[in-house]
Amino acid sequence: MDVIQISDLRGRPRAPRPEEVNLNFSEKAVRELEQLLNHYPDKKSAILPCLWIAQREYGGYLPSEAIAEVALRLDRSYAEIEGVATFYTMYHVGHPTGKHLIEVCTCLSCHLCGAYRLADHIKSKLGIDWGETTPDGMFTIEEVECLDACDRAPVLQISDQYYGPVDDKTVDAILEKLKSETSPSTVRLADEIVQAQLHKRDQEKVSGN
Amino acid sequence: MAAAANEPQSVILTINDIEIEVPRGELIVESVKRIGLEIPIFCYHSRMKPVGMCRMCLVDVGFKQPDGSVRMMPKPQAGCTLPADNNMVVYTDTEKVRRDRKGVLEFLLINHPLDCPICDRGGECPLQNNTIFYGPSTTRYVEIKRHLPKAFPLSKYVTLDLERCIQCGRCVRFTEEISGDSQLAFRFRGAMMQPSTFELTDFESRFSGNVIEICPVGALTSAEYRFRARPWDLQTKPSICLECSNGCNTWFDYRVASLVRINGRTNEAVNEEWTCDKGKFGQNYLNSPDRLTEVFVRDGDKLIESNWATAFQQVSVAFQSAGSKCAALVGGKASNEDIFMLKRLFTEAFGSNNLDHRWTRCLPKSDALYRVATSIADFENEPVIFVFGNNIAEEQPILFLRIRKAWFRNDAKVIVACPEACEADTFAHTSLRYRPGTEAVLLGAIHRAATGAGGVDIAEASSITGVGEEAIRRAADAMKSGFALAASRSLLDLRNGEHVVGALSNLTIACNSSEKYNLFATSANEEGARQIEFMPSAEGKNTREILEACASGEMKALWLLECDPLSLSHDNELVTKALETVEFLVVQNHIKSECVQFASVLLPACAFSEKDGTYTNLERRVQRIKPIIAAKGSAKPAWKSFGELLLRMKGDPPPFHAHEVMQLIAASHQKFQSAIYENLEGEGVVIPANQSTEPQAVDVEYTAMEVPSNTP
Amino acid sequence: MITEVGKDVVLPILKGFLLTGKRLFRDKSTVMYPEQKRESYPRTRWRHVLARYENGLEKCIGCSLCAGACPARCIYVEAAENTNEERYSPGERYAMRYEINMLRCIFCGFCQEACPTGAIVLRSDFELADYQREDFVYTKEMLLEPMPVQSER
Repeated sequence: MDVIQISDLRGRPRAPRPEEVNLNFSEKAVRELEQLLNHYPDKKSAILPCLWIAQREYGGYLPSEAIAEVALRLDRSYAEIEGVATFYTMYHVGHPTGKHLIEVCTCLSCHLCGAYRLADHIKSKLGIDWGETTPDGMFTIEEVECLDACDRAPVLQISDQYYGPVDDKTVDAILEKLKSETSPSTVRLADEIVQAQLHKRDQEKVSGN
Repeated sequence: MAAAANEPQSVILTINDIEIEVPRGELIVESVKRIGLEIPIFCYHSRMKPVGMCRMCLVDVGFKQPDGSVRMMPKPQAGCTLPADNNMVVYTDTEKVRRDRKGVLEFLLINHPLDCPICDRGGECPLQNNTIFYGPSTTRYVEIKRHLPKAFPLSKYVTLDLERCIQCGRCVRFTEEISGDSQLAFRFRGAMMQPSTFELTDFESRFSGNVIEICPVGALTSAEYRFRARPWDLQTKPSICLECSNGCNTWFDYRVASLVRINGRTNEAVNEEWTCDKGKFGQNYLNSPDRLTEVFVRDGDKLIESNWATAFQQVSVAFQSAGSKCAALVGGKASNEDIFMLKRLFTEAFGSNNLDHRWTRCLPKSDALYRVATSIADFENEPVIFVFGNNIAEEQPILFLRIRKAWFRNDAKVIVACPEACEADTFAHTSLRYRPGTEAVLLGAIHRAATGAGGVDIAEASSITGVGEEAIRRAADAMKSGFALAASRSLLDLRNGEHVVGALSNLTIACNSSEKYNLFATSANEEGARQIEFMPSAEGKNTREILEACASGEMKALWLLECDPLSLSHDNELVTKALETVEFLVVQNHIKSECVQFASVLLPACAFSEKDGTYTNLERRVQRIKPIIAAKGSAKPAWKSFGELLLRMKGDPPPFHAHEVMQLIAASHQKFQSAIYENLEGEGVVIPANQSTEPQAVDVEYTAMEVPSNTP
Repeated sequence: MITEVGKDVVLPILKGFLLTGKRLFRDKSTVMYPEQKRESYPRTRWRHVLARYENGLEKCIGCSLCAGACPARCIYVEAAENTNEERYSPGERYAMRYEINMLRCIFCGFCQEACPTGAIVLRSDFELADYQREDFVYTKEMLLEPMPVQSER
């Protein structure tokens, strides 16, 4: 968990004024948000899906500009959006993740089937620890709670895909395959979640028919 | 719905075997107070919605069954989220409840550091108190506590110590529900949950000081008060704030005759319990080395220290020889007593009527334009409120909180017209951001839209003011069946101020709301000076005429009481010329201001913390202040010096106590009769308004005014 | 008459002298005070001292609890914040001013009891006489223990 740093006590930054916030959502994202807002009685309710759109638009994580943009688009305060985004672990606030997010389940079944050993193998192979990203920006590894696939323990989730049961060899093969895949699967995951929120007729409206 | 309407408005429940009747929907934590009990609380605050975050208020609850037996709930319930109901049986002090409270406190103390000896909250800390009364004496927790940054400067005024936070959410709810800026929110989750601003940027709120007071631990502390004293070092006396015209009630905490901090004091009619940052942190001038503490008289180029007798001698000679060619101007921090005695001195001893307290550019003659009809508390129940002019959150912060409350609690429609972005926009029904200088045109357009006649053409107005036609119509629609106006006298500083205020008056008359017309004073005792009629009568000169007469050399002597014309007047050139030219200038103030350099005689006055007296706030509420700390040097209350001067010149017996002055005021101004000192304990007294005839529509030019581009 | 005088006046005088005479040959219990000093009891409570840690930092954190506990209201504490450049005590807070009015002090030791860090202690120095009333206000500099001698390592 992030612990805030007292870097400089004087001359502290102030939150950006609304006019200083760059709006970076693509046209498609704006149309998607419009459709999503129809689902809810007020804009506050759309915070979670809108954060997913932002996570997709900003490349798989939420920099502070993304939070500011969501806040502005939903007429909420920055702090409130940041509070929501930092509460949920699937939003990655502040730090960019790798293109592929390896989530290792370490709950009971997976633990018994060697999840930590498996994780150690991945960590030593990629040279990173929990929550870190490889220098080439390809992989981030995270420890997660039960993925609800105990029958396939030990199980990994790499962005939108489950792999299990896996052992060192199969993991090596998976990582090898992913290395050649340059389009970030974290963005794909965010997009899938956004699409899942939209009804069919919404999607039609977004695509302009 | 019909059934709900027929239900009785009160319910009967049993608390600790005592049967009481309480209003329907009242929370248990409030109901128990009726029988003199107290439930320990952290997160609950009576002015905010309950959340039940801290679990400290657990009580045993059951219901009477039809057969007469009582069926208790298996688990204790949070008293702060549970509304009272019929047949409810509540126990606040059973063995089970005591054990549960111990458990809750043990949990809260798991991560709370035991640095009470250095914590600014130590000694007045609800967590300390509750732990002593209800908590365990030891802890079973031996692991290392959570470590987070200590003393993080969240803003210039607020210091955040995250280790101490018990995550009650009071501060977060305050910014969300009361001040409305939502600057604070909880980041992260679980034990790491931290109240903070967006990425720990500056906490920019006008009301940030309040979170310090409502924090039940030392997580949010004042940066100014940090380590300056412990609660038992302090002495506390009630006072009021003079930073604006709201007249907020405060607690004045002092140590060894100097101010240490200001806290909000409850007055339901004025500030509830809140303070703004200006009032809470802006009073350090009282301890300033720039305070004027001795009498000075001019000797050639420089001012030399002197005494009151010499000064009185010089003043009486100069003013008597000036005859009626002398004048007095007062600022906003002079008390009712000061103003009255100064008026008496001038009319009775000097025979002059050149008196004024108004510093605005336009000085309309009509008293009706200055009227104030709605009290601060009444705004809470107004269905439609029209906020016009400058940023109300800046000019009248506490009134702003009331108007926000009207919207938050009672869904009031608030129409905000302001030339710049302002806090009130966030909850406005319609926000009309007009170009500066086009006030009258906008009002004309709303007039036309609301009544269908008069005013100016809406389409034309829209192009001049920059406000959309749609918005004007929407605002007029909401307002046409009546509204309460919240505008301030700073509108009279506009070059066409008289027309703007006239337009406002016409609009209220057209919408049948002339009894809700309010043009509020902007400085602490401006309304008091108006009620005492510290204004020129027919042959007297007003502020502008006085300054012009001084500049031309016609006016021989000028008395400035508690004011700095250089900062109050819009025309600095004229003021400088006037102060340079006038032969004899008396400056009487509690602090050295810029105009000191021109003074012939400098008289020290007591600041509000050092004198007895009354102040009249914007709703004509007369409130008493009492001397808290001793006067500095040879300073004395201004009214006393006027009394002494009157004694010298006319032999009148001077009043010895401020309450005698108030009796004199009451004798000459009927409306002050209810405001004698015996009546002023508690919330103060609202004196009646001037008996004025039915307000008449005035002729107004609905034209825009050129504003130089460099002045906003 | 004479026997009565002898019994009531002379006899008691002689008895008194006899007692004095006997004591002349016993051990003396008085000491020659300024030169000689009697050993004091271990829990004697006299002059206050502000203690230091072994590394020289002050134990006092300026919490003012001593002032709160003092029944004679003779302690005045003004605290300030430590910085990394100027550090007086461990932690955030230290006593910038610490004054005890010895004329008001009743040597009850409540301050010592209240102190959370053991900073203020009443030690055995009892020679507190002075000539000026002002000199009885002991400042922090007077109360502080001298810096411990740094041992060579």
